[in-house]
This record gives sequence, structure tokens and C-alpha cells, in this order.
Amino acid sequence: MIQVQNLVKVFRKPVRGKGLFGMIATLFSRKYTETRAVDGVSFDIPEGEIVGYIGSNGAGKSTTIKMMCGILTPTSGKVLIDGLEPYLKRRVVAKDIGVVFGQKSQLWWDIPLVESFKVLKEIYQVSDADYGERMAFLSSVLGIDEFLTQPVRTLSLGQRMRADLAASMLHNPKILFLDEPTIGMDVLVKDKIRTAIHALNAKYHTTVVLTTHDMEDIENLCSRIIMIEKGTIIYDGPLGDIKRRFGNIKTLTLTVPPSVDPNSVPPFSNDVTMTVEDDKVLLSFDADKVILEQVVQYAFSQYHAIDMKIADISIEDVVKTILSQQEEEHAMAKKV
Amino acid sequence: MRWLRRYKPFARAAAIDMMAYRFNIITWAIVTVFEVACMVFLWLAVYQSSEGRMDSSINGFTYKEMIVYVVLTTIFTFIAFNDDTLWLINRDVREGTIGNFVIKPISYRGKFIASNVGAFLMMSLVFGLPLYAASLATLIGIGYLPVISAWDFIAHFLLFLVASVLACLLNGAISYIFGILCFYTTAAWGLNALKTTVVSFLSGTLLPIAFFPPVFRDIVSYMPFAGMSQNPVLILMMKYDYLECAKVILIALGWLVLLELIGKLLFNHAIKLVTVQGG
Repeated sequence: MIQVQNLVKVFRKPVRGKGLFGMIATLFSRKYTETRAVDGVSFDIPEGEIVGYIGSNGAGKSTTIKMMCGILTPTSGKVLIDGLEPYLKRRVVAKDIGVVFGQKSQLWWDIPLVESFKVLKEIYQVSDADYGERMAFLSSVLGIDEFLTQPVRTLSLGQRMRADLAASMLHNPKILFLDEPTIGMDVLVKDKIRTAIHALNAKYHTTVVLTTHDMEDIENLCSRIIMIEKGTIIYDGPLGDIKRRFGNIKTLTLTVPPSVDPNSVPPFSNDVTMTVEDDKVLLSFDADKVILEQVVQYAFSQYHAIDMKIADISIEDVVKTILSQQEEEHAMAKKV
Repeated sequence: MRWLRRYKPFARAAAIDMMAYRFNIITWAIVTVFEVACMVFLWLAVYQSSEGRMDSSINGFTYKEMIVYVVLTTIFTFIAFNDDTLWLINRDVREGTIGNFVIKPISYRGKFIASNVGAFLMMSLVFGLPLYAASLATLIGIGYLPVISAWDFIAHFLLFLVASVLACLLNGAISYIFGILCFYTTAAWGLNALKTTVVSFLSGTLLPIAFFPPVFRDIVSYMPFAGMSQNPVLILMMKYDYLECAKVILIALGWLVLLELIGKLLFNHAIKLVTVQGG
């Protein structure tokens, strides 16, 4: 369904001098700095798969997505959607894909939502019967009928995202690209969005590629993860492998009174690592190996914690860990 | 022809937009009355100071014909030149909304043609019909525009409609080409000023092309701009016989095809430069 072969995107920016003189000099100079936003990425995605495309900010996720949907033209390498290159055959490929950018709405700002849908119905030539059926389906999973008659500019962020998602599914695309669909959403909206993606995938067998910063999105939705950092893929495999590699890592952040010296407290066990940051104490452990409740009790009794926060491992942590593991492997390989 | 339906929403939206600017149209009317009055007095002074006085013909135009030309050109440009293509392209490039169109199964150019046609139809029906009817009735009534045969007038009016549609499309194509240049530069304001000046000068809106110096005049009359304002108006004034009408319409059509081709090639090059900010 989707094939990405050795994809590269280089952005060129003119080097700007400092101050007024520098600005004038820029007019005549042809110096550029090159950024390799995507640097030799390859993967295949079969039909019906939900893939999480993840990485930290600026890793090259959105650039890849934009090349896959035809907005950007690759510097080298290619993307094939059903055998066609989207940036060369825009209008043909456009019928088969739906795209949502979390940060940018593609709905018409001033007209009621339902009018936007009618425009899309005409653009994509959706038949009346299909339109009716899909609207009923989308209303039931996304709950958009509550605000269907309101102009898009009056919608809340959560409503707008549900509307955008519905708009991208209206023509029943074979592939759905979602760039941070849950960014800035509350728990209830996130849940609705995830349910909708699942329902769509189950009903129409839609292939979904999504980028996200939310670990929960990945756990709930994705069967496979492709992880990118500095334009290159550092991991591509099933979600289960990542989980096995990192386990169910949780971090307890404790606020400790000044009277307690955290370094003098005996460690809970070898499975819990402790780091000290200013007046905070961080306890990281695998919740599948260590019982959370015991660690919490230990934190109160031994560290006399005033306050505490429990957090799951973040994508940034996963990326950091994978990178440091790779570096270690490289170092080992060099020694051998 | 089913694929044409994809563009219907854009034509409709542009037509509705046109009506949203009713207040602009009122201010336009006030400004225009003064402008036309100025031009009438200017030409009056020109013809009075010429040798043959008011009966003289300058570069093939009598005083009466000149007044008819000024009035009809003013109405014509108001009806046919309604496009914000350049500004919309500039916005799409600056704000990255160009991506929204690229990912849809419609052509970017097609969207603008649909908008141009929608706006043109709306303007023609709501303002064109009464303005042309009133001005033609008056000009014919006071003897400034002599009509020898009614059939001749009707035939020229129909040819004028064809030339008007071509003029609207030519204007759209030129705006589009200038608009695509917004991919390469941020100077949209300058591009628009350049486009407006070039068009109003070379299309004969300011002055009939016959008033230009000999060689320049011949070159300009074969350029696409002549078909954007002067030629349709001269067809309506019955200054052209049928052979000349056919000639200027064919020239306009040829230019339209060529300009669309240039626009397409330019867009295909420009779209590769798109770098959408953020991520």
C-alpha cells in the first residue's frame, strides 16, 4: 500500500548576515545552510495496518508525512502510494488519501461545518447514498452532529479536531495520514478520536499512519511503530517489542523536605533507580516487576515525601534510551 | 463533464463573496462617477484645442466615440476584472494553506478559474445587465453611439459577450502567473502593483492603443492585454467589422492557451520549492 524508498529531504536556507549590512549582503550572496530533515528513510506499510510514526520534535516526522501525501517533493528517493508517486500524480493519489494536520484546520473557517462537508462531498464526488451512510457513521463515533450547523471558527479545539477528522474520512480514503491528531485534546476527546480511528480501521480496513507525542495513543492504536530521530529510522517493529525492551516504565517524582538527604536513604531494590534533581527525587522502575503501591509507601515512609507525581515513560525518554543503547552497541563493535 | 462539478463550490463561493462586498461597490460607484467626469472634461479640452475642434477625429476616434469608449471601458473593467487570485496565492504560500489544496483531487488552477467565472457571472447579472442597459440606452439615445441596423448591433453584442468571457479568463491567467511568482518572492504588493499597472496601460484602459506611437502600437495590439479591455469594448462599439472581430477573438483565445500553459509550467516548478513550516 505504502512504500517509502530511501527518502531524503534537504531544506536549504540562505545564510543571513547579522545586522543591516549583513541583510544587504544576503541579497547578493548565494550561501546556503543545508538541513537534512529526512535522511534515507525506507519502510513498507501493508493495507489495513495502523502505524505509529514517532520521534521527538524536529525529528522529521511531519516532513515525511508531507512527502507521503504529496505536499513536498523529495530531494531524492521516492514514495509509492499504490504504485504512484503522490507528488507527481497529485490529483489521482488525492482521492485515495485523507490527511489531518493537528495544528492546521482544512475546513472553511467562516461557513457552517455542514457546508464544508457538502463542499468536500462535491470535490471528492461522493454519492448521496455514500455520503448519508458515512455521515451517520462519523456522527455516531465522533459526535459531530451536536455542532454541525455552527461556523467552524466558533468550534472549540476538540470539536474542530473531531470535525477535521470526519472531513478527512468523508470520501473513505484507503490511507489516512494523521499528524498529531490528539495534540492539545482533553482525555474525553482523545478517547473519542481513538475510538473513531479504531472503528474506521475495523469497518473500512483503512490504513492509518499517525504521528504523536502521546504514549497512550500508541498503546491504544498502533500495532507497529516506526521511530525516527534526526531524519533516520532508529526503530521499526511491533509495539510489543518496544514494550518488552522498555517494560512498563514509570517514574515517581517526589518532593522531599530539606531535612532528608536522599542519598542516605537505602535503595528500595535493584530494580528501582534513583536520581536527584534539585529538591526532587526521581524513582524509575518497571511496574511489571515492582509493585507500584510498595514503592509509593516506601517513598512516604523513607523519603518523607511531601508531594509526588506518577508518570509513564515519554517518547523522548524512549528515543534517548534507544539512541544511547545504539551508541553503546557501536562502541562495543569498535572495541571488537 | 462530471469532473467539472468538483469546481462548482468554488464558483458558487466566489459569487456569494462578490455580493458580500456591496459596500465596496457603492464606494466604487461614487469614485467612478468623478473619474468618468474628469475623463470627459479632459477629452473635451483635447478635442476643443485640436484643429478641427469638436468634429475632428484623433487617431480614428471622434469626441463622441471617445466618450462612449471611456464610459464602456469603465463599466467593462468593473465587471470583468474581479479577482484576488494573486492575494489568495500569496496567502496560501505564506500560511502554508497551499497544502490543503494539494492534497485534494482538484487542480489549483481550476479552483481559481471556477472562482473567476463565478464572480464574473454574478457581477454580470447583478451589475452588468443594468449598467450596460442604462449606459447603452443613454449613449444611443443622445446619438453618441449610432446604430444603423439592429441586427448588426445584436450580432456585435453577442461577439462582445464572447470577448468579455475571454477577457475575464485572460485577466485571471495573468493574475495567476503573477501570483505564482509569490512562491519565489515575498514582494506580493510589488507584484500586484506591477500587474495592475502593466494591464491598465497595455490593455487600453487608460488610453486606446491607437494613441500609442506607431511601432509600439502594432506590438501592443498583438499582445494579450489588448483583448482584456480595448478589443471587447471596440467590438461593442461596432468599430470592428466581423472579420476584425473574429481576428481579435482568435488572438485572445491563442494567448489564453499560451498563458495557461506558461502558468502550468511555472506552477509545476514552483510547487517543488514549497517548504511548509513547522515540523
